[in-house]
Amino acid sequence: MIRTDNTKLDVSDIQGFALKGYNFPHARFLLLQLLHCKDAQSFLLKLLPDITTGERWDEKPLTTLNIAFAQQGLVKLELPLATLLSFPLEFQQGMKARREILYDTGKNDPANWDPVWQDERVHVWLAVYAQGLLALEDTCARILQTMDHTHGAKLLQAQDACSIYLNNQPTSYEHFGYRDGFGNPDFKGAERDCVPGQGKLATDGSWEALATGEFLLGYADEAGELPVAPIPHLLARNGTFMVYRKMHQNVAAFRNYLEDKGRSYPGGKEKLAAKFVGRWRDGTPVELSPEREDKSIVADDNRNTNFIYGNDLGGLRCPIGAHIRRANPRDAFGFNGQLINRRRIMRRGLPYGQYVPDGQPVNDQDERGIIFMALNASLFRQFEFVQQQWIEYGNDAHQGNDKDLLTGNHAGKSRFVVQGTADAKNPAFICAQLPNFVELRGGDYFFMPSLTALQMIASGTVDPR
Amino acid sequence: MANESGQVYGLTILSPIVEDQRLDIDHTTQLRWYLSTLPRDNTSPFAKVSSTYLARLVVLDDVVFVGKPACEEHLKSRYLIFETNFDGDLDTYLRRMASEAGEFVDAVWKHCVGYPGAGNSDAFVAYMKKCQLQTTFFFADVNDRTVKDTLRALQTQSALTHFIERNQGKPPAEIQKLFGVFLERLKSAPAPLPGGRADEKSATEDRPHD
Amino acid sequence: MNAITPMKPWKTPLLRLFFFVLGAIKPLQADLKNLSFIHFARWVIVGRNRFPRLSDKQPREELRYDYLIFFSNFNGTWNQYIDAFSAVLSRGLNLIWRWSEKFPGSTPVTPFKGYIGRVQFDTDYYYNCYPKAATNDVKAALRVQDALNDFAKTSQSLSPVEFENAYLEFLARVQPDLGSTGIAPVGT
Repeated sequence: MIRTDNTKLDVSDIQGFALKGYNFPHARFLLLQLLHCKDAQSFLLKLLPDITTGERWDEKPLTTLNIAFAQQGLVKLELPLATLLSFPLEFQQGMKARREILYDTGKNDPANWDPVWQDERVHVWLAVYAQGLLALEDTCARILQTMDHTHGAKLLQAQDACSIYLNNQPTSYEHFGYRDGFGNPDFKGAERDCVPGQGKLATDGSWEALATGEFLLGYADEAGELPVAPIPHLLARNGTFMVYRKMHQNVAAFRNYLEDKGRSYPGGKEKLAAKFVGRWRDGTPVELSPEREDKSIVADDNRNTNFIYGNDLGGLRCPIGAHIRRANPRDAFGFNGQLINRRRIMRRGLPYGQYVPDGQPVNDQDERGIIFMALNASLFRQFEFVQQQWIEYGNDAHQGNDKDLLTGNHAGKSRFVVQGTADAKNPAFICAQLPNFVELRGGDYFFMPSLTALQMIASGTVDPR
Repeated sequence: MANESGQVYGLTILSPIVEDQRLDIDHTTQLRWYLSTLPRDNTSPFAKVSSTYLARLVVLDDVVFVGKPACEEHLKSRYLIFETNFDGDLDTYLRRMASEAGEFVDAVWKHCVGYPGAGNSDAFVAYMKKCQLQTTFFFADVNDRTVKDTLRALQTQSALTHFIERNQGKPPAEIQKLFGVFLERLKSAPAPLPGGRADEKSATEDRPHD
Repeated sequence: MNAITPMKPWKTPLLRLFFFVLGAIKPLQADLKNLSFIHFARWVIVGRNRFPRLSDKQPREELRYDYLIFFSNFNGTWNQYIDAFSAVLSRGLNLIWRWSEKFPGSTPVTPFKGYIGRVQFDTDYYYNCYPKAATNDVKAALRVQDALNDFAKTSQSLSPVEFENAYLEFLARVQPDLGSTGIAPVGT
């Protein structure tokens, strides 16, 4: 039984990006440095009317516009000191300062990031999503014009992202060849219906929406408290925090590794690929269908995320260390999933770089990967925790110090075990010498304010009392 | 017995520290300095008392004031807390402390009131028992193996995983032969040192520091 | 982690009673085992007259409260540890600490963390015989050792075909327990 809650959110006050995935194929992320405070404020005031809210669309707009601020951006806008100091510590420090915690070391160290991210000049993230390229260029041009006109900001970098097109249709595939985008968490008040498997487990085994406060500030979270939020209350309410990470993908390395190990794995390359992630490349959950892809499951929203691991604690269907199982263990840790409910993140990623189909030569020096964005009320408790404890470490999943195969910062160590049976066609299989399939090229933490808060910031009326 | 869980003994010792106004540097400070220089790896004195799982030494300066309406009060002395978890019985452990780590034991407990020295092991055991607190509730997740067995098992786990991965896909007869060799090597491998190796931490860890 | 909390002496016997019951009832301990990130933990009640006095020159303590001292050896970060306790063991924690002065309850979690922060005190020296193994690693390793001991008994005397089957079964038995060991993530 799926229950949708009737909590009413003021969707006109919440930025649309925080409430829903737009499913537009094109995006451009404008990374801006703010100039003088007054000019920056007039720039923001001019943008305000165009910011996309969470209001329901009768007709999909051609483009959307959303905005978020890094700590140094709020400093530039001269928010009161008391307010700035009331932001959560990890946001104040920024993602670069937290690199030890996040294992952004070695290949992922800031020394290897795009220059724009290395020196903390990115103050503002502006996201333009578009249905088509012409509309995208048009909207971006107008924004840049406004920027010039007000002298409010300088464009540091425009990061393009785009759905991968297959057969001339935009898809939700990513560069390693997996269909992505399943399993975003349901929370109370979100417009769409609950999809089974996306919320939290109720005691009777059904799925419920998570507390709003896990994803929006100013609402009770899963622990029955209001999440740590900046003061004044009006600045925080209906806002959220976002992490942005540009993740370069080493497609050649991945394909070579899979080819090599797939040769010795009795189940074959595609099955091994499925075991890495916990979904077959077409999106079929391995937990539901461990031996083959199943289009009927993928197509059915009531089934494609509707599974638990409680009957598979040994990992015989979905390996214990598989990517989606690490990122969202559901009921795998016992206690009816209670240890998981405060560790969910809302993902909004989009690929960047040219797609190269399997079988064609691909060069890992090319710009190619995924712009990973995740939203949560507490970066520390949600994103950072999952990254540090479940992706870059495996103790909670009883995988010792082994890291997530797909995104872990392996640095030459770390293994992945595919659990099997005593059947020679489906044996236990260890994948070692894992290369870094993914490398971090930059990013930061951002605060995505409500429309009310944005108005306050833009008119310099933030008062911490 | 509340102090024990299976094979594991949970010992809690509370020793008053000598207060001597005449000293430039008081006993508590000297003790803390000494503890800060003590190694924590396999050269730790506790590695010599090898039945020790986990041990800690904590100086208790004072009790805590939790705020009104609770009353504020203070201890008249400072205390050294010794909390240790080991396999085996209490007397054996205490005697091992005196005989195998006597120098360390003296260096620590010489700062405590009424300490007789590790030289006389009967007196030492009696002193420790006088300072012993009864554990009200002791939880030990793993309580049925010795330290030695546990360290061996960790060594086995690592070696076996390497073996499995290295020989994946080979014909069964070959694996069988190699497995025999592996078993022999494992049996004759040197016993792993308790406490780990200090250099191991930086050499094999992909994080720059803990 | 070390924590010390004051208790009004008339409440102490109630706490002792609870521990007596906890010790006797296995299912309550089972939760602690299932959380699986505590190696060892202990609670020690020090009565107000029970601070050791070894010499006449040592002043006698004159205290109003009894004290409950808690020691634990756990894996994971402090925050994660307290979060998990608060989420899953709140009833047990309340039964232990409700007798301590000014305990705010183990849920919601923020005041609970505040209280623990105030009653915690630092360790001066810590020794761990297996610094790179979490308690899960220890349990896994012991299972692997047992499985290996069993398999080793016959492995060399089987025919290659028998060995192949036995080896596959052996792998299936040890496969959940092959994680690597190492230093744990830093706390924040």
